[in-house]
Amino acid sequence: MTAVPVHRRGLLAPLARIARSDKLVTAALALLALLIAAAALAPLITQHDPDAVDLSATLSGSTPEHLLGADQSGRDVLSRLIYGARTGLLGPLMVVIVSTALGTLLGVAAAWYGGVVDSVLSRAMELVFSFPALLLAIILVAVLGTGLTAPVIAMSVAYAPYVGRLARGVALQEKARPYIQAYRVQGWSGWVICVKHLLPNIAPLILAQSAINFGYALMDLAALSFLGFGVQPPTADWGAMINEGSPSLLQGAVLPALAPGVAIVVTVVAFSVVGESIADRVARREQR
Amino acid sequence: MRTSRFAAAGALLALAVAACGGPPAGTKGAAGAFEITKDTPPAKGPVDTVTWSLYAEPQSLDYAYAFDYPPNTVLANVCEQLMRITPDLKVEPGLATAAEAPDPKRWVYTIRPGVRFHHGSTLTADDVVASMRRHMDPKVGSYWVSVYRNVERIDKTGPMEVTVHLKKPDQLFNEEMGTSAGTIASAASLAKEGYGTPDVGVDCTGPFSLDSWQKGQSITLKKFGGYWDPSLAPKANTIRNVFIPDPAARVNALLAGEVDGGYLLPSSGFPKLRTATSGTLYFGPNTTAVNLIPTDLKGTLGDVKVRKALSMALDRDGIIRAAAGGVATPAKAPGATGAWGIAPEAAKEYYAKLPALTRDVAGAKKLIEEAGATGKKIVMATSTLSPEIGVIANAVQSAGQAIGLQVELKAVAPEAYTALFSDPKAREGIDLVMTIWYDSTPDPLEFYGILTTGDFANYGGYSNPEYDALVDEANAQADPAARAATVARLQEIAVRDVVWIPLYEVPHSMFLNKRLTGAPTGIAQLVFPWGAPLGSAG
Repeated sequence: MTAVPVHRRGLLAPLARIARSDKLVTAALALLALLIAAAALAPLITQHDPDAVDLSATLSGSTPEHLLGADQSGRDVLSRLIYGARTGLLGPLMVVIVSTALGTLLGVAAAWYGGVVDSVLSRAMELVFSFPALLLAIILVAVLGTGLTAPVIAMSVAYAPYVGRLARGVALQEKARPYIQAYRVQGWSGWVICVKHLLPNIAPLILAQSAINFGYALMDLAALSFLGFGVQPPTADWGAMINEGSPSLLQGAVLPALAPGVAIVVTVVAFSVVGESIADRVARREQR
Repeated sequence: MRTSRFAAAGALLALAVAACGGPPAGTKGAAGAFEITKDTPPAKGPVDTVTWSLYAEPQSLDYAYAFDYPPNTVLANVCEQLMRITPDLKVEPGLATAAEAPDPKRWVYTIRPGVRFHHGSTLTADDVVASMRRHMDPKVGSYWVSVYRNVERIDKTGPMEVTVHLKKPDQLFNEEMGTSAGTIASAASLAKEGYGTPDVGVDCTGPFSLDSWQKGQSITLKKFGGYWDPSLAPKANTIRNVFIPDPAARVNALLAGEVDGGYLLPSSGFPKLRTATSGTLYFGPNTTAVNLIPTDLKGTLGDVKVRKALSMALDRDGIIRAAAGGVATPAKAPGATGAWGIAPEAAKEYYAKLPALTRDVAGAKKLIEEAGATGKKIVMATSTLSPEIGVIANAVQSAGQAIGLQVELKAVAPEAYTALFSDPKAREGIDLVMTIWYDSTPDPLEFYGILTTGDFANYGGYSNPEYDALVDEANAQADPAARAATVARLQEIAVRDVVWIPLYEVPHSMFLNKRLTGAPTGIAQLVFPWGAPLGSAG
């Protein structure tokens, strides 16, 4: 039992509150939920096998059989789009989980220990900042080979400083608050204070940053697939679909490239809307 | 944030609009009709500058490494060979005024007098010997080394005479002297470190000399005033070859008139180029065939029944529609019909006798069952290098699955796909690759010769003593008709044994701005100085 009041903010509480108050965020959350559901239930809801080739349907436009048309190999674009959501969401999710964990660890450690530890970790994060994420990914692909693994590792490393810098800043502010000082006076270990009290209180801001990072990671991974370094054909992937569909643009078939492009834009915007709304709300609350 | 919301709304609107329509009528399903045009009308006058598009920058202009379209398209105007392959695929004297075979194991070349190199020196037998011997030097690592596999030695036998001594009769060797294997550069330039690089350049005898090479941008050629052949005196002062790797950008540059022309155009651009007001799309004679190469005849594809079944299951018409925009004809043999320039009429008869490759999925499935190959795995390479590779790989996977084979597609990085044809290690674990294969000479023996035991390009390791003996027999036949008859027997065996799986043959493509004319349309442009007759249309 403690005499000190516990300051703890629920991790997902801001999401629920924002969703209730902002229709756009509600729509974004609904869209993301729909995407996740579609990715999870892809085998049940798609009309065609995403890899099924029908050369008689090559570059067909929108038809009842193929609502978003067929690509150059006659594969159903809608089915590939839905299956593509799996790699499209899974990759960025892995990047966000790893970069958030790594960045939070580094940021909080730098803020908590200060001094030399802070200097070394901050410089290390700046060093990673200075290296283009895509270049890092391409180098790793050269070492590990094509596929999702190398880009996810590279992006996780590249995105960690974004989270780390934010975590360090808010952790420094939080560390200076009286309740943290009170815990220290009571003799609680730094580890316990950070894990049980500091982290939960900075989590909403980090969540907001991670939501925004999700969108950026999705774009970067799609770019790598587009360039042939990420997910490889014939696996359905939005970036690879744009690559495969782009030659068809010359023939007037827009959907094979446009549909995955729109999916990327809409998903990135949805994540940005959610992330920025959380950040706005946290900032307003801090001002009060 | 507001911007991103607009982006999302805009993207959704674009999707909604696009969903209302597919490609323009007439472009999506029907096979595109095409007509072969051997020539363009002769030029009526000179032009100052011609801008020509290449789909890639050559890695080198050293003729020893000129084994692909971009370097050969440039070098065809700059360097010349002992023999000359003409636009109608005939082999004529080039830098050699005569090629004689006093006995089956010797070729004697008489060197043309009075020919000047771009840097000022005069062509001699020493230049010829130096240029040819280079292919046999392991340190050089010439891509054309296989042409010299039967060569024992090359000697200067007179001030203007060179004799090639062979280990065994080799008729094809003389025809190969019309390709980069027979290119002659000055001995002095070959002695320089970095021959063929942007910094050092080349020194040859062609109608154009190398003016400048701006890395990543262009290679500019200028008219060579001292050119020896008045019939091919250049009509253009300069030819600027620009590198445009993106297919859409290349097609749009041609449509807009930013570049005057280009060879080997992307099939996806044919519909727009056909209706262009800026110029004309031509389809010319070709020696190119698109094939599937079984690269491991010790694996699942080692059984001829399996190869035959896979061939029977393929939807060639559908593949042509999807991969070649309809501009191709289904193939019955792995060697292109256009490569029978030594006996074109007889070739038609030989080809007609080959069994038709009609699609029969049920029959193919039965063959797979007979072979006990149901459920067996085949690994096929695929790549984003060009759209047709992916389309064909997907079609093969679909066909394989329909007959009970498990076809796994292995994605290969674009830059690694080329290595599949040069590095055996790169082919490890891969059973099947798709290739667009062109022959450099008008002799079908060039293609069927590569299926002999141990040949560098015999990727699957096919070995048939009867076949090998026939190749030797054909290579010893000086009479083209007799040689063609022997090659026809080779063709029958190659088709029977399904050594390669033929898909389709494509015409050579060229777009020419309406202000220009005179360039040849066919694949001979890779060795013939196509820029020389190119001039003003009016």
